[in-house]
Parts: sequence; C-alpha cells; structure tokens
Amino acid sequence: MTALVRSQLYRMVTIRSSWLSIVLFAVLAASFGILEPYWWALFVGIGTFGISVLTVAQHYQHRTAALLYLAQPKRLPVLLALVLTTVGVTLIFAAVTGIPVYFEDDLSQKMYERTLLVVPIMAVFGAATAAIVRRSSWIFYGFGVWFVLIEGLAGQMRWPLPISSYLDAARGVGFGRLFFLGWAVVALAGAALALFRDLTSD
Amino acid sequence: MIETIELTKTYGKVRAVDGLSFSARPGRVTGFLGLNGSGKSTTLRMLLGLTRPTAGEALIDGKPFTELPQPLRRVGAVLEQGLSHPGQSGRAHLVSQAILAGAGKDRVDRLLELVGLADDAHRRTGDYSLGMRQRLAVATALLGEPDVLVFDEPANGLDPSGMAWLRDLLRDHADAGGTVLISSHLLAELAQLIDDVVIIADGRLREAMPLTELYGLATQRLRVQGADPSRLGQVFEGAGASVTAVEETLEVVGLEAREAGEIAFAEGIPLYELTVETPHLEQIFLDLAGAR
Repeated sequence: MTALVRSQLYRMVTIRSSWLSIVLFAVLAASFGILEPYWWALFVGIGTFGISVLTVAQHYQHRTAALLYLAQPKRLPVLLALVLTTVGVTLIFAAVTGIPVYFEDDLSQKMYERTLLVVPIMAVFGAATAAIVRRSSWIFYGFGVWFVLIEGLAGQMRWPLPISSYLDAARGVGFGRLFFLGWAVVALAGAALALFRDLTSD
Repeated sequence: MIETIELTKTYGKVRAVDGLSFSARPGRVTGFLGLNGSGKSTTLRMLLGLTRPTAGEALIDGKPFTELPQPLRRVGAVLEQGLSHPGQSGRAHLVSQAILAGAGKDRVDRLLELVGLADDAHRRTGDYSLGMRQRLAVATALLGEPDVLVFDEPANGLDPSGMAWLRDLLRDHADAGGTVLISSHLLAELAQLIDDVVIIADGRLREAMPLTELYGLATQRLRVQGADPSRLGQVFEGAGASVTAVEETLEVVGLEAREAGEIAFAEGIPLYELTVETPHLEQIFLDLAGAR
C-alpha cells in the first residue's frame, strides 16, 4: 500500500499536466477565496473532484492501470491507495489555497475548517466515480450537465445531491456532510464492484 | 513454469479462448502463435490476472497470478505497445514502477543503459518512437529481476538491431533458467529464438511441442530442375512421389534427395538443381492455424 501511494505521488509530481492542473486550480481557488469564502469552497470542491477524477481515470485512459495490477493484483488495495493519494493531495491543496479565507474573519475561518473536513469526502467521491466510469471526459461532461441542470436549475442547490450537499457541509447547513458522506459511500461501493471488470486493451 | 488448464473465456456467445491447456517450461523460450483474433492476448491477460477466466486456470509456478507474493519479482510482462503516460519521461516512468517493484534507482539507470534509452531517459514517452516505447516496456518488465517473462508482441516497432538485441536478451534469460512466453507475428524472427511452440486458432490449441518436433511433422519437399522436366516428373511419379510443376521447376514430395538424384542419374537426365526445402515456421503455422 505504501509503495502504491509513493509511486502515485511520484507520478503526479513527474507528469507536468498533473501538477500544472493542480496549480491552476489552486490559483483559481485562492483568488476566489480572497473575494468570497463561499466561492473558495465551491472551487476547492470542484478542484478536488477534478484532481481525484484525473488521478484515477488517467490510469484507464493510458492503460497504465494494467501496470498497477501487475504490481498489486488485488484490486481493492490499488483503489484504496489511489483514494488515499487523492485525499492527501487535495487536503494540502485545500489547506494552502484557503489561507486567505482562514485569516478573513471568524465566519470564514469556520468555513475553512468545515471545508477541510469535507474535502477528503469529495476526494473519495471523485476517485470512486472515476473508478466506475473510467473516462474522465465522460465524467466532466456529465458532471457539468448534472451540476447546471439537475442541482442548479431543477434543485436550486437545495436537494441533497452531491455538490449541493458538499456546499451545505462547507457552510455547516443541516445534514450536508452526512448526505455527502452517503454519496461518497455509495460511489465507493460502486467502485469496489466495478473494479473487478476486465481490463480491456483498448 | 507457466501452465494453463482448460482455460476458457467467453464474451456472450463468443468463445474467445476455448479449453486451452499448455505449458511453458523454465529454461525454454516458448512461442505463442495465432492469427489475429485467435485469443492470444486474451490468454496472456488471463495469465496475468487482468481478465477473469470464464473457466479453467492459468498458473505461474503453480499459482494464479493474483496469488503470487511480490508478483513483479516473479513475472515481467510486456503488454500491447508499451504502457506509459505520454507526459512522463522514460526515467520517471521507470522510477514510478521501480517503487512498486521494490527496485532502486540504480537498477533503473542500469536498465536504461541496457535497453539503449539512457540518452533519451528524460524525454517524454509521448515523444518516443514505437521501438523506444517497446524498449521501455522491456525495461519495465525487467525491473523486478523476474524469472518468468510474458511478452506480447515485444518486437513491434523494433528495428533489426533491436530485434537481435531482444532475441539475445530472451535467449540469455532462458539459458539462465528463466521461463519465457512470447507472442509475435514476426514468425521468421521468432523461429530463430524459440525452443517450443504453442499454436492456437479460434481460441483452441492446435499444436504444442518443441519447434524441432514441429519441423519434423512438416512434409519435406524437394525442388528439382533438370534437362527434361516432363520426363523427370513422370519417373518421380513412377517412383511413388507426388510432383507439382512450377514452370521449369518440379516440387517433389515423397522422395529423399538421394533417391531423386539416383533416379535422375539412372534415367540419364542431367539435374541442374536439387534442393531440400527446409520447412519454415510461417508455412507450418499458416497450415495449422488456418486449418478448420
């Protein structure tokens, strides 16, 4: 497990597009954090989701998942290692980009702390979703449509759906964290089942 | 030791691999041959735990791949045309894999030298040629110093010197007691390397035997040119041979070269050519793989 996490971290550091996208999201999230803590929480959530999805889906896109399974044929530890890696990376990402938010006022500080609590759940949700769908482009298009049409226009961000729950959790509203944890658990269970599909060569 | 026992994979109603049993032994290079779509890659992927068999077993040293402790120390695999992230350098790719295999960075640098990629180690693998990606895949497979090598089309994209290098590498590995299972469509190349051959068609085993034995199964054929082809053909047929005339040349089956020469001499027909055609793997393979 440790070797898988170390290998994955090394991979993220040595693939320029990986760390560039993290830096880009970090700059965006930090900039919005200076303006409005709520927007920081939203961008951190989206960034965490994006980083997690890309980390896992890249292995299927470039078929390097086969190399992971040759090293560790038991697939659950591989999934857990990828999830742990994304949790670690996105926590640092959120903690660093939220520094301006933390020092704004007491309310913002609370939002910062609550967001840091919910970011790992978002990382699990993103990584698990990617393990199910396996294609980042499908997830991002689907996510965009879902976020705008279902959660935004239809649900007015009030239904207990993933992104709305994440934002409720970051703001400390109702059972947001609990609902979002439920979504992450469902996604993780789906990923654990989907893991055992054959790894095709195309 | 690699072994498959009644290995079967079905996709819906299609039986991609159908009750396949064969073995690849230590100290030998085993060629795994089949036409496109015959089930070679599916078999290798089942062997490596990437595809689940519908029935049967694929074993390495008596265990399924998924139950091998430290599998990268036991088995090195080359799959498809080199798996790597195109944005990662060759060296970084190997270091990522070395962490998984428990190998050090010194091993990475030695392998980069061995496969001839030391000068290109810091280039993105997306900029590599196909041959370079194959060399990187071979280096990746060798990271854990495994006994068993499973190579699927490793010669794709390699130039003649690369092929010779790969041939020597695999030969040395087998001579040192390792097990090598290799699939390739470059049959002339493969014939220079392999000791044993496994031929499959439509997911089923056609032949599994030492290559020399396979050559022995092939019908020996003579090429004969003489002063009077028509009469020569008649006397050969009179001696029980079957003769096919291709322009001035006769292809003769059923006679030894010595017998053919003596017959021609007895008839007073001068011979211009008498050649024993060595059976070659490609022809035997096509005969077997194409047979229904």
